[in-house]
Amino acid sequence: MNLWQLVLTELKAIVSDKAIAVTLFGGVLFYSVLYPLPYLHQVPTEQQLIVVDLDHSSLSRQLIRHADASAKIQVIGQVGSITEAKRFIETGKAHGLLVIPEGFRRDLLLGKGVTLSYGGDASYFLIYSAVAEGLVSAGMDAGKQVQLIGMLAQGKNPKEAEQNLNSLHLNSVPAFNPSLGYTPYVVPGLFLLILHQTLLIGTGILGAGQWRSRSYWQQVSPLQLVCGRILAFMLIYMVFTSFYVGYCYHWYKVSIQASFGLVALWLLPFLLATAAAGVAMSTLFTRRDLPTQVLLLISMPILFVSGFVWPIALIPEPLVLGSQIIPAVPAIMGMLELNQMGASWASVLPKWLQLWGLFVLFFGLAILGIKRRVRALAELNAS
Amino acid sequence: MAKSPSEQTHLRESKPLNKAQNAAHPASSGIIALVRRELRALWRDPWQLALISYIPMLGILCLWWLFSAGLPRQLPVAIVDQDHSQLSRMLTRQLKANPVTEPRSFTDLSSAVAAMQQAQVYAVVVFPHDMKKDLLTGHKPTIDVRYNSQFLLVGKLLSSQIQLSLGDGLLQVAGIKQLMTGTPKSQVAVNLSPVKSQTTALFNRNNNYIGFLVPPVLVALWQLLSMLVMANSLNRELHLNAAQSEEGISNRLTEHFWPKVLAKILLFTPILMLQGGFILAWLYLYLALPFAGSLALLLFAQLIMLLVVWSLVLFIFVLMRDSARVISFCTALFAPAFAFMGITFPTHEMPQLAQWWRLIMPSSHYIESHVSVVSYGAAWPTLAQQLSSYWGFIGLLPLIYLLATKLLPMTVKAQAEAAEYDAVPLPTKGQ
Repeated sequence: MNLWQLVLTELKAIVSDKAIAVTLFGGVLFYSVLYPLPYLHQVPTEQQLIVVDLDHSSLSRQLIRHADASAKIQVIGQVGSITEAKRFIETGKAHGLLVIPEGFRRDLLLGKGVTLSYGGDASYFLIYSAVAEGLVSAGMDAGKQVQLIGMLAQGKNPKEAEQNLNSLHLNSVPAFNPSLGYTPYVVPGLFLLILHQTLLIGTGILGAGQWRSRSYWQQVSPLQLVCGRILAFMLIYMVFTSFYVGYCYHWYKVSIQASFGLVALWLLPFLLATAAAGVAMSTLFTRRDLPTQVLLLISMPILFVSGFVWPIALIPEPLVLGSQIIPAVPAIMGMLELNQMGASWASVLPKWLQLWGLFVLFFGLAILGIKRRVRALAELNAS
Repeated sequence: MAKSPSEQTHLRESKPLNKAQNAAHPASSGIIALVRRELRALWRDPWQLALISYIPMLGILCLWWLFSAGLPRQLPVAIVDQDHSQLSRMLTRQLKANPVTEPRSFTDLSSAVAAMQQAQVYAVVVFPHDMKKDLLTGHKPTIDVRYNSQFLLVGKLLSSQIQLSLGDGLLQVAGIKQLMTGTPKSQVAVNLSPVKSQTTALFNRNNNYIGFLVPPVLVALWQLLSMLVMANSLNRELHLNAAQSEEGISNRLTEHFWPKVLAKILLFTPILMLQGGFILAWLYLYLALPFAGSLALLLFAQLIMLLVVWSLVLFIFVLMRDSARVISFCTALFAPAFAFMGITFPTHEMPQLAQWWRLIMPSSHYIESHVSVVSYGAAWPTLAQQLSSYWGFIGLLPLIYLLATKLLPMTVKAQAEAAEYDAVPLPTKGQ
């Protein structure tokens, strides 16, 4: 059997095995829709806010209108006390509260400082930050207006007053993910992880189902088998990866900075290392239902340790070092640097070489593992 | 086979539960024998044993360890100081004083940008040339801040903290200016910011990420474990030789199917509740995260969630009746549970389709009770109201019964026919 016949046999074995076909073709398609589904609206807007207005003045009403005008906030009503407002939050009808103190307008006009209180439900961080951002900007706006009126009343030239208020401009702009959207944040890393996990499951199930019975796998040398199997999965995953990185990234509005050639060059050792890791891992199993379970359980830890959800600087060092052996971990970080943040090829080169190193390591382990399986089967048949 | 001491204690523990069930169930006489049978199966399966013992421990502790920093601190920020004035140094010190940011000096912009692209720093602050001069002469200089929003969590935090630090520093400058023009000192602070704001985080008061992120992550893990344990245990019934029997209990799938399922539930519910209880004890007793309600309520909510997970797995099992397919289908259903919980991204901002899909997952029902008990200190009435959101799953029970009576005999027949061809069915030995 030459290599191409072997690849063809492998492809047949993959497609005719229902469990693998469902995981690869069904899983990859299904997850490409399901995972980003909750995040399609990108940014939380119009969070419900309840107002406790103890002042009842023209200025407090203006402040409420300003808050309501903010894209992040929707004022749903006013109540008489903070305890009542808290009830609204506990029942989920509101997510934040604004307290305007008694004498708000009078104190301001008299030139005494006043304090506005905002409260947000920090059990949900994204809501909390949206409410806080919206209210702080509305409050600052109101403050500036009062200041301006005060200065004009003191007889200052309007232009000078304006300049006194904003003497320095703070130009704070998000880089890389300009819309601060949620899918451009989650999708690039998550989709590489889905490719990684399904590829490992596919190779795992295929191997686990074969080791206990004679078939084509022991008629070729372990080296040939590993090459043939990796090649067969590479053929399938080239299509999947093109679909994910090409079409889905575009569809989910992920910002893209690297060229096609560089991305392809980056993904090549990732897929090779993952396929080799899958073959190596598959020699540990003889039960077909186990690879899926093991990989399901470790997918959440891999996602968090890869460093785009929770900054790597804060993850304990041993976990970061230990996770470097998983192909997805350097691949996700490198891909983000290269494709989403526009780093130069030279700066991601160490990670690229690391992926090649992982490929060599797992390739060797795969050959050793298959040799062990050949011996085990021979012993089983002999006894 | 000799019984280990732990096995015997399990048996003893499950007895009182059995008595309660005995009265209700007609085939109850053999229920203890059936539970024993499950225990023997569990003991012989290293993977199932791992799923109930060291895997949950390792998983829970590792995931907690990952987030154990709790509060993002000392995130590196690149400072490009082109001004080299007393003002720019004062602002840098201001950033250094903020616990969240740790300024690192870069001599030119391009090296700072390169560091940001490699995620070595999470933000860049540029103090422009002649910033102080422009400020003093009444031109409006611009301080540029770029933060890395590809890492959304870090980026948003840095953006607000940098603005806060710089804004505070600039206020001091403006204050000196006012003093020079002869404003009385007591008036300066009010003139600068007449409206002060006080932002209070309700419930998770110090914005701790352990309290925010770790409970839903662990609940998602726990749900996966419960699903796998039950699915494996049910799948085992498919691989048994139907013609044989074990201590008087037939291995045929259709024989005593419901008592067998009941025995599994009786055995695995206490074990999984121990894991769930461990999560709560670890977070709220050992780590002493703020906790407003009562743990007993949460345990009850966990129990209900577990029963719903069981019924979902049972439904998928009677529908598929093939071990690999049951596992793949359950995996497809439960793997994205975390994204749909609505903790990281609010539920009411999800598209309608996602909100419907969310209701299929027991964890998203549970997490609402979890938040309201932990944060708001909800009591029984609120909890009961929240638990009623499971009502849709009640419709599953007659469906399971119907499918089981219709489909399981078909599988048994097919297996019997297949057994005539190959003599030996698949062995169930692990790995």
